[in-house]
Amino acid sequence: MNPTQHASLDTRQHPAPPLRRLARVLVLLCLAALPLQALGEIRVSDDTGRELVLAQPAQRVVSLSPHLTEILFHIGAGDRLVGTVSFSDHPEAAAELPVVGSAGQLDLERILSLRPDLVLAWQSGNPPRQVARLEALGIPVYRNEPRRLEDLARTLERLSLVTDRQAAGRDQAIALRAGVEALQTRYAERPPVRLFYQIWDQPLMTINDAHLIGEVIDLCGGVNVFGSETALAPRVSREAVLAANPEVIVAGGSGEDNHGWLEDWRRWQGLTAVQRENLFFIPPSLIQRHTPRILEGAELLCQHLDEARARRSEVSP
Amino acid sequence: MSRLPLSLALLAAAGLLAMGVSLALGSVPLSAAELWAVFTGDGEPLHRTLVMELRLPRTLAAFATGALLAVAGALMQVLLRNPLADPYVLGISGGAAVGALLSMLAGLATALVSGAAFAGALLSTLLVFGLAHGTGSWSPVRLLLTGVVVAAGWGALISFILAVSPGAELPGMLYWLMGDLSHARNPVMGWGVLVLVLLIAWPLGRHLNVLARGSLQAAALGVSVRPLEWTVYLLAALLTATAVTLAGTVGFVGLIVPHMLRLVLGNDQRIILPAAALAGGILLTLADTLARTVIAPQQLPVGVITAMLGVPVFLYLLHRSR
Repeated sequence: MNPTQHASLDTRQHPAPPLRRLARVLVLLCLAALPLQALGEIRVSDDTGRELVLAQPAQRVVSLSPHLTEILFHIGAGDRLVGTVSFSDHPEAAAELPVVGSAGQLDLERILSLRPDLVLAWQSGNPPRQVARLEALGIPVYRNEPRRLEDLARTLERLSLVTDRQAAGRDQAIALRAGVEALQTRYAERPPVRLFYQIWDQPLMTINDAHLIGEVIDLCGGVNVFGSETALAPRVSREAVLAANPEVIVAGGSGEDNHGWLEDWRRWQGLTAVQRENLFFIPPSLIQRHTPRILEGAELLCQHLDEARARRSEVSP
Repeated sequence: MSRLPLSLALLAAAGLLAMGVSLALGSVPLSAAELWAVFTGDGEPLHRTLVMELRLPRTLAAFATGALLAVAGALMQVLLRNPLADPYVLGISGGAAVGALLSMLAGLATALVSGAAFAGALLSTLLVFGLAHGTGSWSPVRLLLTGVVVAAGWGALISFILAVSPGAELPGMLYWLMGDLSHARNPVMGWGVLVLVLLIAWPLGRHLNVLARGSLQAAALGVSVRPLEWTVYLLAALLTATAVTLAGTVGFVGLIVPHMLRLVLGNDQRIILPAAALAGGILLTLADTLARTVIAPQQLPVGVITAMLGVPVFLYLLHRSR
């Protein structure tokens, strides 16, 4: 699994006649004078286990997901991007890039016309047939599918490798892992808080424990009331939420707005979460997008769960 | 008969023009000269890839799909003697959709999705055939009712699959249901079936003309009605199944193109069938070109455009004909 970069030089050690040996040394010296990246072949396996071989670091990258665009800017490789998909709104520079369709429906012609030497695909978000088509047309494709926080750290490392930003990628990965560990040490062992995480309103949708947000909940010492559902993002009924009676309700929203999703729960005054005012909003871009900003979202969630713990003593007799 | 060669020649010329436009337009517009250079073999490599790998298969698939649907619609309208009949009225698209969506849900490869769609279409055809045929007393109304009810059953299954599918699969499924040519790669089967069916159906044109006036008249004039009707049904089913396999359920072409042609050319099936193939192909080729370019880089499903183009044209023709 470890990504490695190695030069594909012929370094066999045969005894050779002196003249030929001299010639070989000269050739080697000339080659060494070339920029190293011209020689370095990059091998990296993507999240689906496929190995990607690039002759040199990617210079023209098309990202097929807002989160991959964001990660590339994060590791300082935003200048390598030549195209992205709609809703790539962070950082601001991403909005300047040419758009090649939406993540769910790609404009293959526009992608080809940008002459990319690497396409970053989102395994569960892009149409697999269109991605396969790009690959068949000879464009190297890296498929990304982060399911755990560790996957995210590894994505930072791997994408820094293919864009020749190893130092930045390593630092960011270390920072992410350290941030996760700090939250874990601080919050994971605190008294568990049963919560409902609402990612969509109509239909009412939540996430299970296998989801990235599920791991964040775990980190903060929370217990997802629908954690053992089989679907990654199950649709649930309001009745099921009322029956589970969570102590906390956390909701994302559409865009950066909650659209009154949380207010709607106040109709059910019997809910513990409503009685204790434990209705919290976390901007979806901070936690539902698979980028290092998830640390900010995780921090928010942990704080909210702590508020909920504090309110226990207020109400208990 | 003198209208036949002239109108068909005009339509064929328009068809070639439509294909040319479809090959030239896209996210990277090509001039006529650049397009010519691609075909003579000395165009830019990027242009060659765009035209030969992406646009040509898609244009040919679009034309074939439109032609298949329009001919299927023309045959269905004769068979059911109902102006509202379209290729999907007997539930073929529903069966195909259930097959396709189930295979997408199972995460199967492209070829298998197409195969499942075709299998679903054939299953639905046989189901309707068997149920309508069952007790022996047969009429277009009985066939139509059976088809409509079977289609409703498929519709419920489609809703069920959509409801239980994970969010990530939904956009692909919805595009398939709305009719989408972005995955069409190999139009050979579509063209093969189209030519085959036209070769079988065209010589039947005179009999079809009689059948369109009613089965009693046809029988009185010496047409063996039952075998003819089943032949027409199976041909239309084959056409529809092939079209759905290529592009999902593209609406409207099969309903509107035969009617348009009847309003303009009269109701002689010997003209209508080949003319429907050409006009359907033209409509869908142009509609798909628009779907690719009108709000590019966002891509629209072609079914949206066929209706937007077809409705005003049809209403105009209908208004003028009174």
